[in-house]
Amino acid sequence: MNKVSERDVEALIELFDRSDWRELHVVGEGIDLFVSKDPKARRPEARLARGISPARVDSAPPANVPVAVPAATPLGAPQPKADVPANWVAVRAPCLGTFYRTPKPGAPPLVSLDQRVAPDTEMCLIEVMKLFTTVRAGVTGTVRQVLVADAELVEFQQPLFYIEPDA
Amino acid sequence: MLKPDTSPTRVLIANRGELAVRIVRTARALGMESVLAASAADRDSLAAQEADRTVVIGAAQARESYLNAPRIVHAALSTGCTALHPGYGFLSERPELPSLCAEHGITFVGPTAEAMRQVGDKLSARAIAQRAGVPITRGSEKVADLEHALALAADIGYPVITKASAGGGGRGMVVARAPSDLTSSFNQASAAAREAFGDGTLYLERFVEHARHIEVQIMGDGAGAAVHFGERDCSVQRRYQKMIEEAPAAILPEAVRIRVRRAAVDLLSAIEYRNAGTVEFLYDEQIGSFQFMEVNARLQVEHPVSEMVTGIDLVRLQLLLATARDELPAQTSIVPQGHAIEARIIAEDPARDFLPCPGRVTRWRPPAGEGIRVDTAVRDGTVIPPYYDSLIAKLIVHGGTREEAVNRLAVALAQFEVDGIPTNLPLLRFIVDHADYRANLIDTRWLERIVLPAFRTQ
Repeated sequence: MNKVSERDVEALIELFDRSDWRELHVVGEGIDLFVSKDPKARRPEARLARGISPARVDSAPPANVPVAVPAATPLGAPQPKADVPANWVAVRAPCLGTFYRTPKPGAPPLVSLDQRVAPDTEMCLIEVMKLFTTVRAGVTGTVRQVLVADAELVEFQQPLFYIEPDA
Repeated sequence: MLKPDTSPTRVLIANRGELAVRIVRTARALGMESVLAASAADRDSLAAQEADRTVVIGAAQARESYLNAPRIVHAALSTGCTALHPGYGFLSERPELPSLCAEHGITFVGPTAEAMRQVGDKLSARAIAQRAGVPITRGSEKVADLEHALALAADIGYPVITKASAGGGGRGMVVARAPSDLTSSFNQASAAAREAFGDGTLYLERFVEHARHIEVQIMGDGAGAAVHFGERDCSVQRRYQKMIEEAPAAILPEAVRIRVRRAAVDLLSAIEYRNAGTVEFLYDEQIGSFQFMEVNARLQVEHPVSEMVTGIDLVRLQLLLATARDELPAQTSIVPQGHAIEARIIAEDPARDFLPCPGRVTRWRPPAGEGIRVDTAVRDGTVIPPYYDSLIAKLIVHGGTREEAVNRLAVALAQFEVDGIPTNLPLLRFIVDHADYRANLIDTRWLERIVLPAFRTQ
């Protein structure tokens, strides 16, 4: 098998994303990839014995290989920065548009740092040609980072906030 | 006094694949900056690597990205673009895009929304052609129902072909040689048109049995002046999809060539057409007459053959005209020379009924040499995504004569190596070696009628 590139991984996840499969586990030279549409899924321990890198079994996954990617996470989306704790959840832009933290000029931001949020908490607005889309938190937790300045252009799936979910 | 405008033009490219690469490079050569509006599937494409900036506007599916006009125009405005090139396919012929651009002060590199509406509806286009004195096929206004169709067909004379008023591409087209054919297929054709275009309106035309597809490349200044860049013969087709295109149309007698070019110029001048467009005709070789078919209000896939014979970069001219940096060239300065042929390299398997075959290209060895041009966004390792058209490259050759060009194409096709995915290269080689093709004895149904059966049993 040739060297596995980031694109191979993207192609596999793309295939997975469009399929009705629930889980995909690929083990080979230079690759050990497990993806699942169940956020609670864990790598099947039994099969790991045949993996190529026993040393890696109990360590954290390599930064660029997504593990347990939720079904909603699209392909090729920027991966979380390495300095963010692994359990933090990124709130991403649903499409290209202009990012607004306030519902109207002069109003306070919808959310602030260290604020507690619930899955349906309104985080920000994304404007496309005067049409506004509300972006919600999606998880229960605490806002830990705001990554984009007000009125900035954001691209599809760009991380906007990091939330530390409740344990 | 006017302040001289020193800021460079920044153009948003709302397209993908080989065409996006081609526009990025031409813009750069003109000193323009390019911003590529890409889908998530194309964030690492060759065009994305070469553009000055790439913005990911939405998910891979075209309706989330390349077919989403508000996101595209928002991307253009937010990145400081002053012009927008729609390319072909996707939104290139939807009036919504030039309308939105005009509303927000962005220069649309193409015709006006009004011109798109006028020629986009096939019945309206027929009426414009008729008014401009362009020959049209004996045909009908819109057909109400089967009963109406049968009455009209009896008047026009069989065989007839049904066509969708709202669009082309073979959808809604059925050939009827007798009333029973019409009875069995009319409702189906209307349903197909409704599914493809959201409008099931059909009209009827006399069906030309042995037709050539001839089209004329036009550029207009938007004020009534238009010039042509010669004609193309695109008769090698499968299910109304072109596979090989040539310029000039070697089959045309000189008198007909002059008239067909004139007709195309007259038609688009009449509606004060702006920027690049193509007028398509059917040519009946047996009686030596041509009839108007439709207008494509955009750049076309096969535009490189016209570039090769005229030596004029049409995308460059599109950008210069749109940004008012140049004027329409004089007709006398456009002199087609020699013969050019384009073969479309498509990721599909001719052995499995042309099933599209996206996937990873593991090895890519296009031909190169004198008189050979390859337009592509593919490299070793490129993944052809499953969401879009399966055209992966255009191989264009130029020679002094048709014979020289055909020979050059045969050699170039033999040298072309693609591993990892099936392509139509074996079929293209088979076509170019066929005695009928060499002798230019073909029509729009030749590929399906003669070549495909022979290709399958070889």
